[in-house]
This record gives sequence, structure tokens and C-alpha cells, in this order.
Amino acid sequence: MVHQDSSLARPSIRSHLRALWFITVNNWKHHWRYPLNAVSEVLQPLVWLAPVYFMGQAFSVNGKAEGFAGYAGTSDYMSFIILGTALSNFIMAVFWGMGFSLKWDMDGGVLEANWLAPLPRPLLLMGKTFSSVATTLITSLVMLGIAASIWGFHPTGNVLAAVLTVVPLLIGLYGFGFAFAALVLLLREANTLVDTGSFVVQLLAGANFPVNVLPKWLLPLSLALPLTYGFDAVRGWLLKTKTLLPLQTEIVILVVFMFLMIFLGLRAFNALERHVRRKGTVGQY
Amino acid sequence: MQSTLTNEGLVAARSLSRTSLLAHLRAFWAVTWREWYHFVRYPTWVIAFVIWPILFPAMYIMGAFSLAGPQGTGITRFTEVTGTANYLGYIVVGTTVWMWANTMLWNTGLVLREERMRGTLESNWMSPTSRFFFVLGAGPVHAATMLMFVFATVVEFRLFFGTQFNANLGTLLVVALCSMPALYGLGFSFASLVITAREANTFVFLIRGLVMIFCGITYPLSVMPAWMQSVSTWLPPTIIIRAARAAALNNAPLSSLTSDLTLLLIHGAVWLSLGYILFTLIERSARRKGSLGSY
Repeated sequence: MVHQDSSLARPSIRSHLRALWFITVNNWKHHWRYPLNAVSEVLQPLVWLAPVYFMGQAFSVNGKAEGFAGYAGTSDYMSFIILGTALSNFIMAVFWGMGFSLKWDMDGGVLEANWLAPLPRPLLLMGKTFSSVATTLITSLVMLGIAASIWGFHPTGNVLAAVLTVVPLLIGLYGFGFAFAALVLLLREANTLVDTGSFVVQLLAGANFPVNVLPKWLLPLSLALPLTYGFDAVRGWLLKTKTLLPLQTEIVILVVFMFLMIFLGLRAFNALERHVRRKGTVGQY
Repeated sequence: MQSTLTNEGLVAARSLSRTSLLAHLRAFWAVTWREWYHFVRYPTWVIAFVIWPILFPAMYIMGAFSLAGPQGTGITRFTEVTGTANYLGYIVVGTTVWMWANTMLWNTGLVLREERMRGTLESNWMSPTSRFFFVLGAGPVHAATMLMFVFATVVEFRLFFGTQFNANLGTLLVVALCSMPALYGLGFSFASLVITAREANTFVFLIRGLVMIFCGITYPLSVMPAWMQSVSTWLPPTIIIRAARAAALNNAPLSSLTSDLTLLLIHGAVWLSLGYILFTLIERSARRKGSLGSY
């Protein structure tokens, strides 16, 4: 009896890792269980890219956007946009996927049961993060491949440096996702917030244009967003565009952003955990 | 059995099943009021009304700013292909009209979908009123809210971007009125799809996106390949955007848009008839299969 009790209550690093693996696999399976949604995630950005491409044609001569080069440092408008769209997929994944992950568990009636498992609660979101990064990466690469074959994508710079720059950017973004998931769970009806928030963040981070074209009253908001430097640095490495700050400075900002977001994300999540335990509202929706 | 009924009983029985045009119009009015109450009951629409008119076009406008370049070198080419250097107005009118037409197109289907999700579709369908009028009831409230939306767009773009409009309001109003039959007709066809397919979200998104690409919301049709141009000329939103641009930016008189307006009315007659037939047929089939309430 004593042995049984202790085995149930004795979590170890190994049991945590096993749980993390199963949470990841669970989310992974859930994602691919709806193949039409996965196809839609690839097609949606392409549908948005087409009007942007034709608009570019209306300003370009012989496929060269010379006016655009004055701001971005490259006349390869479509490579700039396609790369921004691929990175934006992660913003959408964090806002919609991570943001609603706890809420969906709550609506599905499994949050309370998961919450009772002898696990550190942040593991629930970490598993979701791993699965989300993997599925969004696959979706983005497929989208990038199709977009490249239709409109052309010409990375002329350092691919490895660009990939390494993406790492702190994504970790920071998913750290923010922890805090955002907590907020969505508290608000319950957050569709407008998520819809508008994700659009505004994409706009201010310069997903589809160089941010120096923003009006003076909006530019400070954009420059206060670490994601802006992430987008800028990745484009700087891969497409050799003009960057807002020296690349090294932008990477330092991204690394600071990463640690700050991990810290704030965990703090917000722990605060939520205390709140729902005290109020007993984890099973309500 | 009938002889045992009192006169009052007969009247009551007849009044329940005796539908007339007046009864349909009363039902239409009741649905309109219900939609209005529903609209004002959830005030989050205020946020949407303030933010989205500027947020959706902003992505394209910033893109256009960057394409124009710091010295405006891209504008020369834009003027060549569009005939106007006012690229900001060109994009604002295109995106706003698209948002309006887009919501008009899908609103009918979405109203049905919401009813189905709430579980009220089946019980409403059992009432002795015309389904056509029932679905049409959401229209006036929707048209009124869209008018507020367009007004917010104009005010915000004048304030934040100093956008210049040279509008002929009378022509613009006629364009909007002539567009409605075609958009409602297409909307009914889409509503039939909602009744048939339980999860139509992905399909709706794709159709919506394709219409957006083909109707030239931020660019002239001439930049598209020839086959795409041929397809786009058959889409009512293309004609609406072209006519609205002429009315809102070039102060076009009504007489200069006769061909576009006639085309829109022909589209209206065709799509409204087709939409009505399709909707009636599919609705009847769904009732026979008993699949109206399931989702």
C-alpha cells in the first residue's frame, strides 16, 4: 500500500519527460486528425499573398520594385513578403493555437482532469509548444515551397545565421504565448482580442512591409516590439536587406526578449494557476 | 370530426396555417428587429467598427507606401496602369467595397449557420412563414451596420491619412443599390452550401480568398494574366469595385456608369433567381433528410 502510494505521488524528471512526450504527441495527433485544417493553414497565407503580389506588379517595372528598394535595400519584393508571411505563421500559431489551448481544454472538459495529474502545470503548455513549433514549421516550409514555385524566392544571404536568429525569436514568442493563454482563459470570450491582436502585431512587426514606412505616430510602437527586430534581422541575414539597427544589436535585443518572455510567461501562468485553484473555476466555462 | 369543431376552433386552425404576404412581411419585420436587438446586445461590435475599417486596408496601404518608394518612383508606374496617382484612395475604396460586398455575400449563409449552432434553426423553420423572407430579414440591419462601417472608414482615413475623396454620393448610392440583388443572389447560393455542408469554413475561406484575388481590390485587372482577367469580368464584386472607384474618386456622374449598372442589374436578376431556386431545392432536400438541425 505504502509502495503504491509513493509510486503514484513520486514524480521524477523521467516521468515528467514521458508526460511531456505524450502531451506533445497528443497535440501533434490532434493537429493532423483534421487534414483539411492543415491544408487550409498552407493555403490561407497563399491566398493573402496573391493580391500582395499583383499590387507589387502595379508598382514594378520588369518585375523590379525600384521604389521598394529605396526603403528595403532590395527590389526583390516577393522574397521579402514571402519570408515575412512564413514568420507570421508563428505569430498566428501563438495567438490562436497557444492562446486558445487552455480554453479549448476547458471547453472540451479535460482541463480539470489534466490539471489533477501529478505534473508541473507548465508542462501542459510546453507540450503544446513543441507540437505547435513542429506543425507550424512544416506548414510554413510547404507554404514557402509553393510560394517560391509560383512567385520565386531568392535567399542570397546566410541561411544558417538566419535560422539561428529565428531560435530566440520563437522562444520569446512562445514565452509570450504562455502569458497569453492565461489571459484568454481568464477572459473566456477572447475572439476579438485574439483576432485584432494578431493582426496588429503582424502589422507593427512589418510582416508585409519595411516598418520605416509607418506613420511617425505608429513607428515608436513598432520599434518597441522586439518582434520587429526579429523579422528585420532574419531578412537582413537571408535577403541582405537594410536593417534598422546593426545585426548584432538586433540579436542582443532578441536574446533579451527571449529571457524576458520566458520569465513573464511563466509568472503569468503561475498567477493564473493560483487564481483558478483559489476560485475553483478551472472546470467552469 | 370537423363538424365537432366550434367556429372559434376553425378560425384558429385556419389562422395558423393561412400564410399571406402580410404575414410574411410581419415575420420579416420580426426577424429584422431580432437581428437589431442581437446586434446592440453585444457591444463588442464598437471595437470592430473602430478598428477594422483602418486595420484591414492598413496592411495594403503600408505595402503601397513601401512600393511607391521614398522618392515616389513607383507611383509613375502605378499611374500608368490605373490612370490615377491617388493610390491611397484607390486602395481604400477597393478594400472598403470588398469588405462590404464580402460581408453581404456571406451574411445570409452565416446567419443560417449561427441559427444552426444555437439550435434555433429547426424550430424557426417549423413556423408557417416563408424561409426566403426569414433569411432576408437579417438584410436591413446588416445594410445599416455596413453603412456605419463605410462612414467610419471615410472619417478615419481622412483623419489619419488625409485621404482625398472626390465622391459623387448620389452615384455611389445607386451603385450600392444596384449591387444588392447580385450580392443577395450569390448569398442565397452560399446559404444553400451552408445547409448542405456541415463544416463549410474551409471552403468558404477559399472561395472568399479567390474572389478577393480576382476582383482587384488593390490593383488594376490589367496586371493579372489574361485568363484571370476573363474570369474577373464575370464576378459582380469586380464591377462593383470599378463603379465605386469611379464614383468615389472621380466624381463620376450616373450616366457614365450606365453599362456597369446595367451589368449589375442583369447579374442581380440571374443570381437572385438562381439563388432562390437553389436555396429552395436544397432546403427541401435537407428537410426531407432531417439534416437541418445537425452540425
